[in-house]
Amino acid sequence: MSSRKKVLLKVIILGDSGVGKTSLMNQFVNKKFSNQYKATIGADFLTKEVIVDDRIVTIQIWDTAGQERFQSLGMAFYRGADCCVLVFDVTAPNTFKSLESWRDEFLIQASPRDPDNFPFVILGNKVDLDNRAVSAKRAQQWCQSKNDIPYFETSAKEAVNVELAFQTIARNALAQETEAELYNEFPDQIKLNANDNGRNRDGDNCAC
Amino acid sequence: MSGSSSVEDLPDQCKDLFTQDGVLLKACLGRPITDLNSIGMLCIVENHDNSKSIEWRPNDLITIDSDTQDQEWAVVNTIGISMSYAKGRRQRTFSGNITADYATARARIIRIPLEELKTFRVTRNNQQMQFSTKPGVWQTTFYFQHGNAEIFVASLKNHVKTAKTRHDRNTYVVVEPNTESQVLNKSFAELDIFTENTTDVVWNLVSNFKQRPYETTMEAFSKLTDIVYYGNEGASGKRDVSEEVADLLTKSMNEIDEATTVTTLTRQSDEYEVVTVNPMLPPRPVIPRGTPLSTEKWEGLQDTEGRVTEVDGVRQLIFRGGIARSIRHLVWKYLLDYYPWHMTHAQLKTLHKKRTEEYFTMKLQWRSMTEAQESRFAEYRERKNLVEKDVNRTDRTHPYYAGENNPNLLVLQDILMTYVMYNFDLGYVQGMSDILAPLLLLMGNEVDSFWCFVGFMDKIASNFEMDQAGMKHQLLQLQQLLMFVSPELANHLVQKDSGNMFFSFRWLLVWFKREFSHRDIMRLWEVLWTGLPCANFHLLIGVAILDAEKDVFISKDYGFTEILKHVNDLSMCLDVDKILSNAEGIYHQLVSSPNLPDQIRVTLGLPTINISTSTHSEADNNKPSTSRGTENGYPRI
Repeated sequence: MSSRKKVLLKVIILGDSGVGKTSLMNQFVNKKFSNQYKATIGADFLTKEVIVDDRIVTIQIWDTAGQERFQSLGMAFYRGADCCVLVFDVTAPNTFKSLESWRDEFLIQASPRDPDNFPFVILGNKVDLDNRAVSAKRAQQWCQSKNDIPYFETSAKEAVNVELAFQTIARNALAQETEAELYNEFPDQIKLNANDNGRNRDGDNCAC
Repeated sequence: MSGSSSVEDLPDQCKDLFTQDGVLLKACLGRPITDLNSIGMLCIVENHDNSKSIEWRPNDLITIDSDTQDQEWAVVNTIGISMSYAKGRRQRTFSGNITADYATARARIIRIPLEELKTFRVTRNNQQMQFSTKPGVWQTTFYFQHGNAEIFVASLKNHVKTAKTRHDRNTYVVVEPNTESQVLNKSFAELDIFTENTTDVVWNLVSNFKQRPYETTMEAFSKLTDIVYYGNEGASGKRDVSEEVADLLTKSMNEIDEATTVTTLTRQSDEYEVVTVNPMLPPRPVIPRGTPLSTEKWEGLQDTEGRVTEVDGVRQLIFRGGIARSIRHLVWKYLLDYYPWHMTHAQLKTLHKKRTEEYFTMKLQWRSMTEAQESRFAEYRERKNLVEKDVNRTDRTHPYYAGENNPNLLVLQDILMTYVMYNFDLGYVQGMSDILAPLLLLMGNEVDSFWCFVGFMDKIASNFEMDQAGMKHQLLQLQQLLMFVSPELANHLVQKDSGNMFFSFRWLLVWFKREFSHRDIMRLWEVLWTGLPCANFHLLIGVAILDAEKDVFISKDYGFTEILKHVNDLSMCLDVDKILSNAEGIYHQLVSSPNLPDQIRVTLGLPTINISTSTHSEADNNKPSTSRGTENGYPRI
């Protein structure tokens, strides 16, 4: 173990309604698949401890509703994310086309410190189905064009590539490394730069 | 006897200006002993000649069609309490067919013309009120079973000019019946109550107010009155009146500063927080649930041709105890505005035929769409895809929707698709399938389920609108309610970045559908559909659930993620009857609270009285006060 400190990695799963976000999360965390999952309303998360490069890290995976009008709520949960997983359904081309806007929207709303190098992972889900409509090649090309985002073809139903994908997610998130106490919310960044001109925001600033 | 009139005097029409249920007749001079201890409604009514009276009506009069011995009604009668603010100036007509029982009951009405009222007093922890029309004799005594007399007194003071007596703070002397033009005088008259030791304080205040606008003066005085009337009657610590007046002055002046920008007092803090107002919530009454509306009772509430004659009574019964399973499918049609209450069986038959035709016309509209058409109709395709996806994951664990190729899923889909044609602009939004599933499960009929769904959606359509303004507004209202009912918890949530109440989004979007079993959600929904006891009662359900978890949140110092997790995990672990009972108790606490702020009054559909709690104008910018910034209108956490 290289560190005594517990590391919490916050991962956000995004994608259109019905692409399998909840199923992927449950397959990874609980090793279970059910076609009885309900459409996610609001937000939920699951946590799992994984070992990444000899370190124990806790992944906290956030799942929100996919329908467009609920995005503005979901955005509230993006803050402090260490990795963003974008999911599409390989049988539904529209869900693939949406990736771009999910990615852009995430970057705007989560406003990570270094947007160009913020870790994303793309999952093309439901490869167990016959009626595939988005080819692996097409997906890979898009990922390459976006600063080489890692791409996995998964089946939450048959547990294909789920473990592998989340290992990568955890590793890339860890590289981003935000250390925080387990179950402790991410503290606000305390900005000490002088540009604030004494504009006290919620008492975050030291008025010295 | 004086003070109560016989039936002959009763005008045929009068308007209820204010009503309060659950008021027990404890004593009345000249009345047979059998009348005592019966429950009724204490009202302020306006007679046809514009004179006003206090009126007590026994409940068996209100629920006229019932055999008064019946247990179910008895449950309702003893517990029922509602402020009919929301109903406003409801017309009460004593005409038509009056049964013998009804006439007897009517003779038991007690009327006290306000012109004759001399004094009244409030005792026993504000739960007992006595009236007198001649000095030295308390002719009638009423006991407020739930809540207390505060609201009634406040309402009464709108109609009579009163002054408290020197020797007894609880006794009010009626100076003269009030009229509209005397409102200002009334406030000053009320100030006389300080004559013991606070005259100077008060009149200093008055002199300070010289240049201030009339409105702000009035506002300050109304606050002053509230504190003095209610502030030193609380069980905890009797403070000197002058001290309270001083406190109040500071507060009032702060508010006036806000309004007029004339600064005469140094304000102590930038923000005027709810907690500092000391909500002085009365203790929460324990209100047991009633038994469900039975078949017999339901049939008894209809006339021979099938019209439902006592709609208010039906609503009350359902609010109290829900509906028996045997008739639920029928009564829901009324509650969901599919069947109008006043229609006869024959009229309903015609209506049903018409609605059936309408449904199938709309269904045909999408059923007849060709693939080629669909391929050129992206908005339609999008809606259809969403419906198909969600239908396949709606309540699949319930036997009615379980298993492969379950035909009921197709019906669910057909109804939702037809609703898309009914309201294409709203279309299909996630959560709608959750709303529909219990309706179809109960009705088992495509057309009826559709129209009931339409009725339910009419009540909650704003939850699903694209801009989500309805949801944002409700989250804010929930936060405000919690801040008043349970400031400790509300502040904890704020501290933990949860003041935006997002954890309750699912509750509000689908009216707690995901939190309860089918059986329980049916009970909860039918109670909520009655619209009783106030507007937005579903928010008080939310408050009740949170309040019950208060100790967990605080003692375990739950943070943002734990709060969300805990709330999500409450699903299927909640006791619907207990929550309904607590929520009703909270409602009574709120309406009995003398300083209930206007923003909450508006939420609950109560008339406003110019009390505000905060200077950060949450109501204006429509977001919870804890937000740090917003995107798309939702505050960030």
